[in-house]
Amino acid sequence: MIDASYEILAYAYPPLIVFAAALLVLVLPRILGFAVGALSLASVVAISLLAPEGTHLTRTFLGFQDIHPFLIDDFTQMMGMALGFLGTFAVIYAYSSEASRKLAAIALAYVASALGAAFAGDWLVLVFMWEIMALTSTLLVWQYGGDAVRAGYRYALAHGIGGSLVLFAVIAQYAAVGSFTMVTEAGETVGFADGIPLLLAVLGIGVNVAFVGFHTWLPDTYPRPHFAASVFLAAFTTKTSAYVLYRAIPEGNLLLAYMGGAMAVYGVVFALLQHDMRALLSYHIQAQLGYMVAGIGIGSAIGIAGAMGHLFNNVLYKSLLFMAVGVVIYRTGENDLYKLGGLWREMPLTAIAFAIGALSITAVPGFSGFISKGMVLDAADPAYYGGSEYQALYWLLFIGAIGTFLSFIKLGYYVFLHGPSDYTVKDSRTGQTVAMFSVGGACVLLGLPVIGWPVFADLLPLVDGITVTELDTSLTPYSTGHLIDALILITVSVIGFKLIRKPLSKMDYSDPALIVNPTGYYLGRGTMLATTDLYAAVDNAVVSGVKRCYWAGNNPVLAVDATARRLPMVDAPERQHADGGRPSTIHLRAGIGTTVLLLTIILTVVIWLLV
Amino acid sequence: MSNVDLILPLLVAVPILMATVPIALGLRFDRTGWGVTTLTTTGLLAATAYLASAVYSEGMVTHELGGWPREFGIQLVADEFSTLIALLVIATATAVLAYMRVGGPRGNTFYAGYLLLTGGLLGLSLTGDVFNMFVFLEIVGLATYALIASGDGPESAVSALKYLILGTVGASLYLIGVGFIFMATGTLNMQVLSENMSEVIAQGGQNLVLMQAAFAFIFVGFALKVAQWPLHTWQPDAYQHAPDGVTPVIAALVSTVYAYALGRLMYTVFGPEFLTSTPYLTEIVVTFGCLSVLAGSTLAVIQTDVKRMFAYSSVAQFGLVVTAFGLVTETALIGGIIHLVGHAVMKAGLFAAAGVIAVSYGARTVDEYAGLADNRPFVAGGTALLLIALIGIPPSAGFIGKWYIAVGSVQAEMWPVAVVILLSTMLTLAYSARLLEKMYFTPATPVESPHPSGPVATDGGQSGGDDEHGNERGDESAGHVDTGAFTDTGRIGRGNPDAVSFGMLALVIVAAIVAVLLGFAGGELHDLLDPFATEVFN
Repeated sequence: MIDASYEILAYAYPPLIVFAAALLVLVLPRILGFAVGALSLASVVAISLLAPEGTHLTRTFLGFQDIHPFLIDDFTQMMGMALGFLGTFAVIYAYSSEASRKLAAIALAYVASALGAAFAGDWLVLVFMWEIMALTSTLLVWQYGGDAVRAGYRYALAHGIGGSLVLFAVIAQYAAVGSFTMVTEAGETVGFADGIPLLLAVLGIGVNVAFVGFHTWLPDTYPRPHFAASVFLAAFTTKTSAYVLYRAIPEGNLLLAYMGGAMAVYGVVFALLQHDMRALLSYHIQAQLGYMVAGIGIGSAIGIAGAMGHLFNNVLYKSLLFMAVGVVIYRTGENDLYKLGGLWREMPLTAIAFAIGALSITAVPGFSGFISKGMVLDAADPAYYGGSEYQALYWLLFIGAIGTFLSFIKLGYYVFLHGPSDYTVKDSRTGQTVAMFSVGGACVLLGLPVIGWPVFADLLPLVDGITVTELDTSLTPYSTGHLIDALILITVSVIGFKLIRKPLSKMDYSDPALIVNPTGYYLGRGTMLATTDLYAAVDNAVVSGVKRCYWAGNNPVLAVDATARRLPMVDAPERQHADGGRPSTIHLRAGIGTTVLLLTIILTVVIWLLV
Repeated sequence: MSNVDLILPLLVAVPILMATVPIALGLRFDRTGWGVTTLTTTGLLAATAYLASAVYSEGMVTHELGGWPREFGIQLVADEFSTLIALLVIATATAVLAYMRVGGPRGNTFYAGYLLLTGGLLGLSLTGDVFNMFVFLEIVGLATYALIASGDGPESAVSALKYLILGTVGASLYLIGVGFIFMATGTLNMQVLSENMSEVIAQGGQNLVLMQAAFAFIFVGFALKVAQWPLHTWQPDAYQHAPDGVTPVIAALVSTVYAYALGRLMYTVFGPEFLTSTPYLTEIVVTFGCLSVLAGSTLAVIQTDVKRMFAYSSVAQFGLVVTAFGLVTETALIGGIIHLVGHAVMKAGLFAAAGVIAVSYGARTVDEYAGLADNRPFVAGGTALLLIALIGIPPSAGFIGKWYIAVGSVQAEMWPVAVVILLSTMLTLAYSARLLEKMYFTPATPVESPHPSGPVATDGGQSGGDDEHGNERGDESAGHVDTGAFTDTGRIGRGNPDAVSFGMLALVIVAAIVAVLLGFAGGELHDLLDPFATEVFN
């Protein structure tokens, strides 16, 4: 079946290729380096498509046998194609966005680690790559300097905690099951053992897929680095983690499904309230992840296939949106959407690209998001495949879809339509245009009725052609029922937006911002205050923790004096510069006598306990 | 095979005898110390490597000194555990010489002390006799005090004195413990002791109580020697004020070998049966270790002096090792040993890097590290790799150690330990990230200078070329003077890159590479140590 000449691809381990490209970018001339980066990622697409299925490069590692760093099956094939395809154009985009070689090198290293996690065939390799991914993504944020450094620090802490939880989950899994197997010989996904391993795994992965309450790092970090870096960040960490979530809990879980619903609603509500364009998109990452988590949580074949399809599409259109917004930031230097407007006349290409992304994410028929979001909704809808316990989830997801519409009407309206533009700027540069329209073209192609979507459906795991194998039913996204649903969705959203705009014209406010903003503000404020308590508490704790560390780091003498005064027996001599007065030295000295006293006490206690 | 065991006494005797040579030659020549020392350690390294190949292929090698039977005489033992440590000792001692050639300290007497230290450490690693171990403890201790005191300035002398007094107290506690062991069993040989141990436990009564008391004294004595919180108080002073060339050796080897000795006593002499059957014992050891991890890391986070930060970090990392010893599972024991080795490599590299940066960039505090990556890319890169390894991000030496300890803690179902390892990773991340961020993402800020003066007179320090390079950043050096930050080393201008030799830099880079490579060698190290752990637990 498979051509023998493709067998050699089983040795072409994609992360290694991309990582080699990352190193080359540093030394080669800029254009050559970026070309190598883009080619390395394009080759990942080819490898994913052509490499024979199964586990490759089996090794012994850390004394554990049968470690599979390179697994090819339906899932990883799809992940590899999505990440490789997007990565290729993200590199091209970064090239024409004047991203530095350092940024590209870090970004490629980050992509390599994400690919490593995506292709991992067992939990040990996965956790390895998971930690590296946390490190490289932090570097990508830090690389920009300024505001991004502090956010990056918080990001590192969040992902450090998440990564350690996953590490312990994997250890606990090993203790419980006795192996790191992720996928059996027969291709069954094993998942984490119930109890502590599963709990730790879901919590740890939950940080990365931005569970409500664990998500603070996402809108905090993604708007801050270089806009080309945001394109990378938006695509890799969260989507890879959503895939890993499926591997961790292949059977699904009701609570997880509802967490997905909550994420969808929470994400869009906060997206609506944002001023910063990239922050708005970041909350949408959470909302879109909500659909994936919901699909994985439902756990039926169509739910998982829908979640994976949504993941694939999301990689494309969310990055497309970040690219389009990036061009706006690149040309205008403005992050706040209320300070922009009318840009479609200035930059029509960017506006079209944005429109494609927006139509895809809002699941308009004819665009890719329609297929996959429809599958997740069908999986939850009791009228199709969902159980009755998913009725509420269906409505949550539906509300999320309406909210998605509203916020993209808002974003598109204020950036591209509203009023004349204050800026006279050029449109996107060639490379940016190529990247946007290649990714955008895929979004359109994969959603086209009759032509594109069967190809897309065939790509999905658990779906053969357009037949969901386990359920033995065909997918019919363009059935009358689905189109009516879409129509209802669009009508409700447009009416919703009209409702907001009507009072506007009656009250004769010239600026729609004055009505949308306060409405959003006052309506949102009550709920926001309630819902953000957790958010605020977590964020405050993290920020004040970091602040305190920094303060203590900068004023060690004060900090230690303050602490030392509360400790018995520790000399904290006031300003006694025994070392010649170096200002940064801490004068916390337990003297010899004190130490010997401590020693005696400890010895007494130990003897008393032991003997 | 026949004569391999003769290497054992040579490994101990040769460096101690050779220690007299630099002094003797010093009557005629000025600078012979480095040459003699390098020759000696290189020879010893080759001998140890030969010994290691024998041990790992054919098993344990022993030697009875003077032909006395082991019940009465002194036995030297090279098994899988002690050979690894001996190899670490001699390899590190040789490697750090590359730094000392130019980085100092200098002088024939210094190298005499250095050889004495090497001999003591090798003896400590290889001895199979608990009283002989005390002798080597003292030799190592005295040599260390001398080396620390060889720094210029009163600070070094004071911290050496503090270490001397506390270290001697710790060694004395150990000696008391040895006395109890002798009372209970009538022998001092480790092998014989371990064979007698199950009998003592079975009998119970007076002898068992004596053994328990012995353990208490020995453990507390070593807790001080290994610098476990709150008995660590000598250690940050000692590490900070020791000369830059000496700190890598002390930090990488002295506490490491003490921790090895503790592990050897706990597992070979007392044995897992005693450890688990005595109530509260494992709890005490684990609590001690965990407290050190948390307190040490926290203290490291609030430091501004980089050497001191690394010193507190060592408190924490040794806490992890002691915790691993206290878990009493095979995997945790192996993890503890691997972490011991990995930590030694990383800390040797980090302290060498701190020395290089102090000379070449004039930076000793975290804030002064700003902009290091742009100005000194190689040493910054090496430091960054080592820090990342220390956090335990794979693939690195730090990861495999933590990994096995974590696996051990899960096997022992000690969940609090797992939490502590998690927290320690977080805190390590916190202080490493501070440094990484400063080095890579904060531009160098010129220090405000109220006296825009020219070249600044210094205390003369070790850096010679204070003219043209010093003046490039003359305004900044004036700032340093103004803040009085200027007393203990020759801090001239914004450092003096020419004063850094290739060897100094190479030590940092090689340590970084080894730290990363060890990350791939986890399985091999595990297999090397497995026979030892299996034997101990059966």
